[in-house]
Amino acid sequence: MQITRRKFLKGGVCLAVGASPLFSMAARAAELQPRKAGESKILVVVQLAGGNDGLNTVVPYGFGQYYQQRPNLAIKQKDVLALNDKIGLHPSMTGLNQLFKDGHLALALGVGYPNPNRSHFRSIEIWQTAEPEKISNTGWIGRYLDNTWQKNDTLSRRLFPAINVDPMLPKSLASDRVLVPSVADVNQFKFNTDAHYQLDRQNQIETFNRIYSAFDLDRPSAQLLKDVGLDAMQASDYLLSVVKNYKSTVNYPDNGFGRSLKFIAQMITAGVDARVYNISLGGFDTHSNQLGAQANLLKQFSDSVAAFQKDLEQHGAEKDVILLAFSEFGRRVAENNGRGTDHGTAEPVFIIGAPVKGGIYGEYPSLSNLDQGDLKYGLDFRSIYATLIEGWLGGDSNKILNGNFERMRFV
Amino acid sequence: MAKSEAESFWTEHLLRRAGFGYNPAELEYYKHRGYERTLSELLEPDKVDNSKLDSAVEMQQFDFTRLDDLKRWWIYRMAYTQRPLEEKMALFWHGHFATSNRKVNNPYSMYMQNLIFRKSGMGNFHDLLLSVSKDPAMIVWLDNQQNRKGKPNENYAREVMELFSLGIGNYTEADIKEGARAFTGWQTKPDGFFFNAKDHDSGDKNFLSERGNFNGDDIIAILSRKPATANFLATKMCKFFVADNPSEDIVSDTAKAYKPNGNNIRNMLETIFTHPQFLSKESYHAKIKSPTELVIGTIKGLQITKLDSDLPNQMSRMGQSLFEPPTVKGWDGGQAWVSTDLMMERFNFATRVTQEKFDSIKGYITPSALVANQGLKTTNDAVNYLLNLLVDNDVPESTRDELTKYASKDNSGKTFDLVSDNIDDKLIDSKLRGLVHIIMTLPTYQLA
Repeated sequence: MQITRRKFLKGGVCLAVGASPLFSMAARAAELQPRKAGESKILVVVQLAGGNDGLNTVVPYGFGQYYQQRPNLAIKQKDVLALNDKIGLHPSMTGLNQLFKDGHLALALGVGYPNPNRSHFRSIEIWQTAEPEKISNTGWIGRYLDNTWQKNDTLSRRLFPAINVDPMLPKSLASDRVLVPSVADVNQFKFNTDAHYQLDRQNQIETFNRIYSAFDLDRPSAQLLKDVGLDAMQASDYLLSVVKNYKSTVNYPDNGFGRSLKFIAQMITAGVDARVYNISLGGFDTHSNQLGAQANLLKQFSDSVAAFQKDLEQHGAEKDVILLAFSEFGRRVAENNGRGTDHGTAEPVFIIGAPVKGGIYGEYPSLSNLDQGDLKYGLDFRSIYATLIEGWLGGDSNKILNGNFERMRFV
Repeated sequence: MAKSEAESFWTEHLLRRAGFGYNPAELEYYKHRGYERTLSELLEPDKVDNSKLDSAVEMQQFDFTRLDDLKRWWIYRMAYTQRPLEEKMALFWHGHFATSNRKVNNPYSMYMQNLIFRKSGMGNFHDLLLSVSKDPAMIVWLDNQQNRKGKPNENYAREVMELFSLGIGNYTEADIKEGARAFTGWQTKPDGFFFNAKDHDSGDKNFLSERGNFNGDDIIAILSRKPATANFLATKMCKFFVADNPSEDIVSDTAKAYKPNGNNIRNMLETIFTHPQFLSKESYHAKIKSPTELVIGTIKGLQITKLDSDLPNQMSRMGQSLFEPPTVKGWDGGQAWVSTDLMMERFNFATRVTQEKFDSIKGYITPSALVANQGLKTTNDAVNYLLNLLVDNDVPESTRDELTKYASKDNSGKTFDLVSDNIDDKLIDSKLRGLVHIIMTLPTYQLA
């Protein structure tokens, strides 16, 4: 009865060499040490997915062309949250306005890259891989993790080098040697067994662990599935234990993005030792009826980030965290016929946190000297990455970004 | 006529890829037909009577104006259809022309789009692309409603080339601008597609080195003729049906099967499913199941007849929310289906399916019925039977041993034989459920 399917497979099958060692889950768990405040530097990356309209985010209310190009969509001068006499924030971004006043918001203007691509997917890929000229299989954060990976990294570092809080792993976290987990909700990140037969739970978990530890099968994805399965079990145990103790009085906005940022704050303050967290807020592809949609999204973004900052402060972790927020591209200067805007180029980028030197970096792009109706960029996004790598995370930016980019002074 | 074991082996492989797996009765039927006749039946769904499904669907009284019902409708169809490849192709095209209700916000319109994939999904690509371009859900999804003379909206013109036909690198930004002009005035009204002549730009356009007073039909015709379209579709289909990194061989053979006229999609499928690379060790259990394949395959394998109304949410948590693909590019698929949290969701789907009851409803499966009448004599027989049914017996020996050990021992450490010894029914139930649960968490169970 023990039919082995392998006999039908042409060319035979070579079994993977060397069974992976059985290990004791308990012994591994003991190695997991929580991070202490001040011990490490953390980056939270927020992608405003869809292409955020930069002109209505950081509003050039002092430029006449803005009102000419945007008869239906322009934000009224009196509504703008002025940062200086030329530009100001969208009126729904009161939280970020306060962070700017506190000196915790660095605003990089006119950010882009040469030969801008207006495809969502290619431009996201460019931002995530930091490779505008060629297709890269690894992301900039993935390469940072690969480059700083050490043989003697603690188990918690190895399990959580970074954490993706989005449903799908973005290419920025794709790497050659480090596996980044995705955890959207800690309560669903738990191995369940039949509640009716609770006594059998331990037997099932032990059987699972033994089967997985010895699972060698010559199929293209078998090793990946084995690694991810084992990591999932262990990461779940660890996360459940660390977030149990989190307490906070800060109220986050009751939406998906707010809850996700709260979860990141939980992990950071509970001692998870990831260096980078990834999260996104989608819906910015406002080809039509942009005004209400964008206002709502910017409010979610701004209110959630403000709550996040407050939460970090309450837990004494604010000096350990910088948040970076970008979009794959800005949008065209002129509005379209559907009270929306089409895919464009340069955009403002936010760098937020107590360690940040607040202020405005770079020039607002000219609204008259355009390239095919689009803004010309003045600041390469890789300068921001280089600054974060060298000045914050620690790493060799030339190697990670495959080039030498000017350092900025926001950290 | 008895078929060779090898032929049955590849017929099972075909059913996992061209369909969603099989239940024992289906397997019996298709194995008896043999590979070639199974394939010809799959390739010509119109010749297969599906009235049993149609009347069963009718009785369910799905409300197509509700998104959850729409999802349940499709799950129901995929699970119980007699035309598996028809549904599999509908899923392929849904990922290809990835339209999301998150923006369309009209489940009935999403339902109508889905019917196109079933009606034209295995015929001629030009006809399919044209139907989709005029589909109201698509017009809303990619903003063609706002694409007007003098104020073009480029969204559809861009995506129709980048994602639906040529693939990136085979057109210029200027082609997008000119293409957008051709699609001006293609709009939707409550009763369907509507050509609004007064919003249409009827001037000459330069599009992909051709010049003329093109409208949307002309653009679709030009795109459908291009070799880049054949290559783009062939690559995508081979990735979907064969392997994450298909050989150049099978991709180019599949592209060659794309002829301008006739049922070119069906011809490509036939090329794929008769290709030596498809029938090779490199393709066997080489694909990670999408959440849809995982769920439908489970319904079939475990012969589940009553569906959990929460299935759409479970699939969504595993990374595939039907009618709500994450981006215009659809689901990445392949190894992107797997991450620690998505894997945990798969494990917990297995728990839900196998547990004694959930949400105070009686559980999905009756384990004793599942293994009844199979002539099983020992615990080992039961393990082998379930491994064969659920993972095609494709596991290392150590897995088989561990499962037998698990099913032969109770909490106090006392050992027994689950089948031949006289033991408590509850213990048998618990161990059989546990066995199915653990088998469903195996790496191989995630493979198609």
